[in-house]
Amino acid sequence: MDDLIRNSETINQLLARYGVKFGIYKNGEFKEQLFPFDPIPRVIENGEFRYLEKGLKQRVDALNCFLSDIYGKKQIVKDGVIPEEFVFSAKGFLAPCDGVTPPKNIYSHISGIDLVQSKDDSWYVLEDNLRVPSGASYPMIARELQRRSAPDVFSDNSVLDNRNYAEWLKEVMDYVNTGGINVILSPGRYNAAFFEHSYFAEKTGAVLTTGKDIVCEGDTLYYIDYNGRKQRVGAVYRRISDEYLDPMTFYEESLIGIPHIFEAYRKGNVALLNAPGNGAADDKGIYYFVPKMIRYYLGEDAVLMNAPTYLPYYEKDMNYVLSHFDDLVIKDVAEAGGYGVVFGSSLTAEKKADFIALLKSKPRRFIAQEVIDFYDLDILNESGERTARKADLRAFVLTGSTTKVWPSGLTRFSRNPDSFIVNSSQGGGFKDTWVLSR
Amino acid sequence: MTAEYSEAVHQHSFSIRFFPQHSQRQKITDLNIEIDGCQSFVVTDDSFQNKKCYGRIAEPHRNFALHIRGKAETGLAIYEEYTDYPFSAILFKTQTDLTKPGKNLLNYHQALGLHKWEGSYDKALYIMRAIPDVFSYHPGTTEVHETAENAFTLGKGVCQDYAHIMLSLLREEHIPARYVVGMMLGEGASHAWVEALCGNYWYGFDPTNNQLVNDEYIRVSCGRDSDDCSIIRGRFYGCGIQQQNESVIVEEIKERIDSYGSDNCVHWSADRRNT
Repeated sequence: MDDLIRNSETINQLLARYGVKFGIYKNGEFKEQLFPFDPIPRVIENGEFRYLEKGLKQRVDALNCFLSDIYGKKQIVKDGVIPEEFVFSAKGFLAPCDGVTPPKNIYSHISGIDLVQSKDDSWYVLEDNLRVPSGASYPMIARELQRRSAPDVFSDNSVLDNRNYAEWLKEVMDYVNTGGINVILSPGRYNAAFFEHSYFAEKTGAVLTTGKDIVCEGDTLYYIDYNGRKQRVGAVYRRISDEYLDPMTFYEESLIGIPHIFEAYRKGNVALLNAPGNGAADDKGIYYFVPKMIRYYLGEDAVLMNAPTYLPYYEKDMNYVLSHFDDLVIKDVAEAGGYGVVFGSSLTAEKKADFIALLKSKPRRFIAQEVIDFYDLDILNESGERTARKADLRAFVLTGSTTKVWPSGLTRFSRNPDSFIVNSSQGGGFKDTWVLSR
Repeated sequence: MTAEYSEAVHQHSFSIRFFPQHSQRQKITDLNIEIDGCQSFVVTDDSFQNKKCYGRIAEPHRNFALHIRGKAETGLAIYEEYTDYPFSAILFKTQTDLTKPGKNLLNYHQALGLHKWEGSYDKALYIMRAIPDVFSYHPGTTEVHETAENAFTLGKGVCQDYAHIMLSLLREEHIPARYVVGMMLGEGASHAWVEALCGNYWYGFDPTNNQLVNDEYIRVSCGRDSDDCSIIRGRFYGCGIQQQNESVIVEEIKERIDSYGSDNCVHWSADRRNT
């Protein structure tokens, strides 16, 4: 362990050199910042990981069933388990996807589930990310660099190897591939996660493209290489959001999308990972219903708990939220990346009154959650001392022929001692996550 | 539809949604699609079961022209029967960004006192009759992606705005309602109206003309709002300035033998049943 700490500066320098950066847009300007790496790993024992694994597989399987249902027969809504306005008026529900079955009926191939551990050691799911969850590459490359500097640490501590992620990713792409090559579609150099896109392309052998060399002819997608040769594309791991994917179907002004890619997908001639329209299932409003979905589709009780959540949409919950406002964290369902999060206790009286008025006029727009007392993790501060910070864990769950949980994950921490918000876009850092074999 | 470009454009992708289809209301025959300079295009459906045609012209070109011709036998029924799958009415119950009411529409909805009417059909009819009292036809006032609330506040607009306002009010009443694009006898442009699900039937209401949809209407496509029914979308590379013209001609064939001419236009003939 000491080896790791000693080398942490070198590792951070190497990460910078490899371009492990995180780009953010703030006030209309693009800024790139390093994603600081902390050498003290989060350690998860094998038994605990098996428990998480069971809960995560169950959760992702139910979410896939849900997506298949709402874009198909809509039984869960007809049976009154989820009110229709939570599904069909959500921004993430895309009508063009209605009635379209993706290859192998898989919607969420790569799911990023955010968890936190509370001080009493129980784990809670905070958020499901089923659209384009990013972040697996950061622990991958950090581990790779650490292995070079201190190769024995990992075997001495019985840490499970996490180098299989790229292989799993390739398996998933191959499994849903409809015939042709795999490509990774990136919005380009200025995207927050461009490092990750290029890293995955290198590790999986997929072609990295920004879409300029991809065309849809008829209802088939092709990649045109340097020699002008056409190759059919069978799977697209796309790292651009639904709205920008196809200017002919979604956001018309999109310059990064591929015209008619959606038509090829609709015909079943190409797999898109993840499927468009997944935003209907990882909405913060839908989050509330995930344990009900697990019961509905799988007939099981949820293994992993949600953070206690209230939906102001229901009158009973609204009353609770109003009377416990200062104890709760209120989240705007349409926002992500740590934006639109308000801690009731942090507002001035005036702002609080405004916010409550907004909440009352748009109850569907918000959820309220109990503030979980996170279990803090040690990080090394600037003077090299250990100090405790809030941290979460993004677990990566891959669905191909089966659903598997990567024995690692992205542990993010808040650098600000008072903050609960750990998102990379808010300036947090990351750690390696060790899953032990014992 | 024709488009001319002042400089040549290339890598031109297009998508067109303007093809009437068979239904209980209308029978379509002799449908003919021609796109100048494009031999291969694909005809497909969208998720609302609208017919759609798309394609790509890679080579540089300065003209793009589309001709659609056909015959429609209309007035075969006054409604369309509802089937749940794969085309669920649930999607048409929730407001969209364009139909979502604001303060003014909500007040108006209150003032209408629709609880007086029991059935969906009566409510829809009442709404259609009421709108012309507060809204008038005036092209050039509203924008392409105008919301129902904004249009209502302005008090004037085009058929699209009439339809959005009516949809907004129907959905406030939890009546599934959809936006319909089509053609009308004697008009030189496409038209829009509303269909509301009453019992197990979709009925057509035209708030712009304050009348029920009859045999003078040819139905083309439907969706939750006008954005779902965009007639044409395109993307190309080049710096030319585009000049686009669209025209719709609907002519009546009384004896079913009249023919029709005129170039560069979407051309329809409505074969009316004489009742």
